[in-house]
Amino acid sequence: MSLNMDLEDDTTVLTTLKSFNSFISHTEPPQRLSEQSAGIGNLQSQYKRSMELLEAADRVRSKNRYLQLDQEKKQMELSHKRARFELEKTASDSARDLEHEVDRNQDLLGRIKKLEERETGAAKNLSEQVEANRALRKNLESLNKKLEEQDTKVNTANQTISSLKDEIRELKQKIQNQSSTISTQSLENQELQEQLDLQRRKYQEVSQLCQSFQAAQSSCSEHIIKIKELERRLALQEQDVAIVESVKSEVAKVPDLEKELKRLREDNAFLRESRENCSLLKEEVEGLRRKLERMAKTKEELVNMELEKERLAEKLQAWENLGQSTGLNIRKPEDLSREVIQIQQREIALKEQNYTLNSRVRSVERSQSELRAELSQQRSKTLEEQKKREAQDSLVRRLQKRVLLLTKERDGMRAILESYDTELAPTEYSPQLSKRLREAEDVLQKTQNHNAEMEVQLTKAQEETGTLKLQLQTVELELESLKKQQTSAVDSTSLVNKEEVSILRQKIEDLEAERQRLEEQNNILEMRLERHNLQGDYDPVKTRVLHLKMNPTTVAKQQRQQEVEALREEVTRLRELVRSLQDGGALVHSQDDSSMHTPNLGLSLPPSKEVLDLRKQMESSELRNQRLKEVFQRKIQEFRTVCYVLTGYQMDITTENQYRLTSVYAEHMDDSLLFKKGSNGSMQLMETEFSKTLGEMVALHLHHQKSIPAFLSAVTLDLFSRQTTI
Amino acid sequence: MTSTLKGITLKGSAELVAEFFSFGINSILYQRGIYPPETFTRVTHYDMSLQLTTDSKLKNYLTNVVTQLKEWLFECTVQKLVLVITCLETNEVLERWQFDIECDKSAKESSAPREKSIKTIQDEIRSVIRQITATVTFLPLLETPCSFDLLIYTDKDLAVPEKWEISGPQIIDQSEEVRLRSFTTSIHKVNSMVAYKRTDSV
Repeated sequence: MSLNMDLEDDTTVLTTLKSFNSFISHTEPPQRLSEQSAGIGNLQSQYKRSMELLEAADRVRSKNRYLQLDQEKKQMELSHKRARFELEKTASDSARDLEHEVDRNQDLLGRIKKLEERETGAAKNLSEQVEANRALRKNLESLNKKLEEQDTKVNTANQTISSLKDEIRELKQKIQNQSSTISTQSLENQELQEQLDLQRRKYQEVSQLCQSFQAAQSSCSEHIIKIKELERRLALQEQDVAIVESVKSEVAKVPDLEKELKRLREDNAFLRESRENCSLLKEEVEGLRRKLERMAKTKEELVNMELEKERLAEKLQAWENLGQSTGLNIRKPEDLSREVIQIQQREIALKEQNYTLNSRVRSVERSQSELRAELSQQRSKTLEEQKKREAQDSLVRRLQKRVLLLTKERDGMRAILESYDTELAPTEYSPQLSKRLREAEDVLQKTQNHNAEMEVQLTKAQEETGTLKLQLQTVELELESLKKQQTSAVDSTSLVNKEEVSILRQKIEDLEAERQRLEEQNNILEMRLERHNLQGDYDPVKTRVLHLKMNPTTVAKQQRQQEVEALREEVTRLRELVRSLQDGGALVHSQDDSSMHTPNLGLSLPPSKEVLDLRKQMESSELRNQRLKEVFQRKIQEFRTVCYVLTGYQMDITTENQYRLTSVYAEHMDDSLLFKKGSNGSMQLMETEFSKTLGEMVALHLHHQKSIPAFLSAVTLDLFSRQTTI
Repeated sequence: MTSTLKGITLKGSAELVAEFFSFGINSILYQRGIYPPETFTRVTHYDMSLQLTTDSKLKNYLTNVVTQLKEWLFECTVQKLVLVITCLETNEVLERWQFDIECDKSAKESSAPREKSIKTIQDEIRSVIRQITATVTFLPLLETPCSFDLLIYTDKDLAVPEKWEISGPQIIDQSEEVRLRSFTTSIHKVNSMVAYKRTDSV
């Protein structure tokens, strides 16, 4: 508000300034004018004027001052008003606040009341709580009592625990005692085990002894067997001796036997001769027997022939009888054949007749059918004619009626005329009447003529029908005759027809059978065709088989062919090479010449020289080898003998990794020790007959001391001591 | 393949049959061991796993034959396709796989598709190939190195194309024949069979 007021003040100041300025500017030009026009004389006026002006300015200024003051006053009033207004406002506000305060006071009072109520409630609660507290205290006391009781229990438990600990200590002591006893027992146990080992060793020794004993037993049994065999041989020899004695006695008989032999030989020669005679006789007997058999056969044949002859004679008789009975002149087979031929001819003739009859029947049938056709034509014709005749008849009747009418007319006319004549006198004949009469007569004449014509026509028609009827009758007659003929022909040909029918049936059956056969054949052929089709056959007329020129088969075949050719070439080349190599040594010089022709052979020439060198080298190396072998053998032999002499053992290699040692002092040749070289280089003693007898030493030196040289020396010493004691 | 799913046209039929031959020949070559088994790779077709060769020469040959065959199938001039297995050592024919093809030549004039779904045809083809696989059980073992050739029986009036030549039927002397299943696309009917040389042991 106040700022606004200031602005207004400024504006007023500005406006006054403006007006003042404008006023000054307005007054200047007249001043100038006055200066120019009036000059110095006008100084007074000028002064007056300036005074006036000054006064005016003062006035203006005062006015302004007044205005300013006035405005200030207004402003003051306004501010006063505003202040009053504000004061009123604040008064009303404070009044409202007061009211608020009063309301609040009331609320607070309400609250106080509520709080008081609450306080009373709380007091009540407090009392309740106090009571509950008391009850809790009681509970607590009871609990404390219980706790004390438990404490006492715990104390007792502690006491028991201590007692138990004491027991444990005692038990530990016991356990220590026990363990000490166990250790003592284990010591005992070890002792026992050692004893057991000793026992075991003893057992082994015993078992070895047992084995040796068994071996001795077996050798004993073999000896027994040998003894038995020898006894058997002895018995055999005794038998042989007996045989020899008997043979000697037989030998004494030999000269007697020789004599007997001579005699027997003579007998033998005689018997041989007799045997030859006997065989001759036997042959003769055989020949005679054969003859006899043949004779018997011929006899039987003769009897058969006679029987046959009789039968034939009977047959002949029968034939003759037949000939006589039939009256035919059959005496000979020729007659019969002649007769048969005649019959055949007759048959042929009959057949011909039959055919002709058949043909006739056919022609008759044909003519019959023709006639039937004609008959039907004729019948139709007669029907037509009958119709025509009926028409004619009706025509005739009409004409006759007309004729009757005309005659009646004529009679009527005549009667009229007569009546006229009678009525009129002849004199009264008028020409008119005569004319009419004539005319009537003319008409009559005409009708009569017509009538006659009609009658003529009628007769003609009647004649025609008559002729037709005649024709019909003749045709019918003809037909009947034909029918008769046909029936007769049928009668005559029925037999022939039947035969023909039967023949035809036969033929049909034959044809049917053939048809079936052909069908079967057809089926078979179709099956075969199908089979051919399956196999890939085709009809070259309709079909053509194509394939790509470059198919895999031809390609493969070509490749194969090429391979084969290449191999063949190689083979021939190699063959030549081989041949040249075979000839190589002998034809060194000639090959030098021929190397011009075959480069391959030229190449093979230098090797032939080399081969010779190589052969020489090989021979020398072989020689060296042999010499080395000999030296080696000698050295080895020497080494072996030295070994044998020094160690007292001969060493042989029986198989791979197996060495046989034979001692110098061995009791038997077979007594030997067998050692095997293990994969890790260690030597193992193998069981032999001899080693079985050395159980003790094996146990001591090998198992216990684990020294083979010691074992061997022990064996040597043992054997040596045995030999020397003996 | 074919324009409609339900019907089948002459072109589609020729495609199907040619495809069948491609797979069939491959599986025979694999089963009979004409080519080593490591040169084959597994492929799934007709809802079954089949063997296809990876030998480039053989592949090239087969595609040549099959494309030509497809043309002839489309013209309905092919009667048979025969796979001949020959022993290389003796040049003797040991096996003949024969596929008789019956073409319905009326399909050439009318282009209307036939009522047969591809699925049923493929089922039939699958059973044929299965049977080819099963024949290994009774066919005699091929002990010598062998090679194969494809013969195509065509109508006589057909012009022989370049690269092709006339061949003999390569019939087996003393053979046993076994008929296998057949399938039909209702335009081409394929009857399959195998003939093999009778062994002396039987």
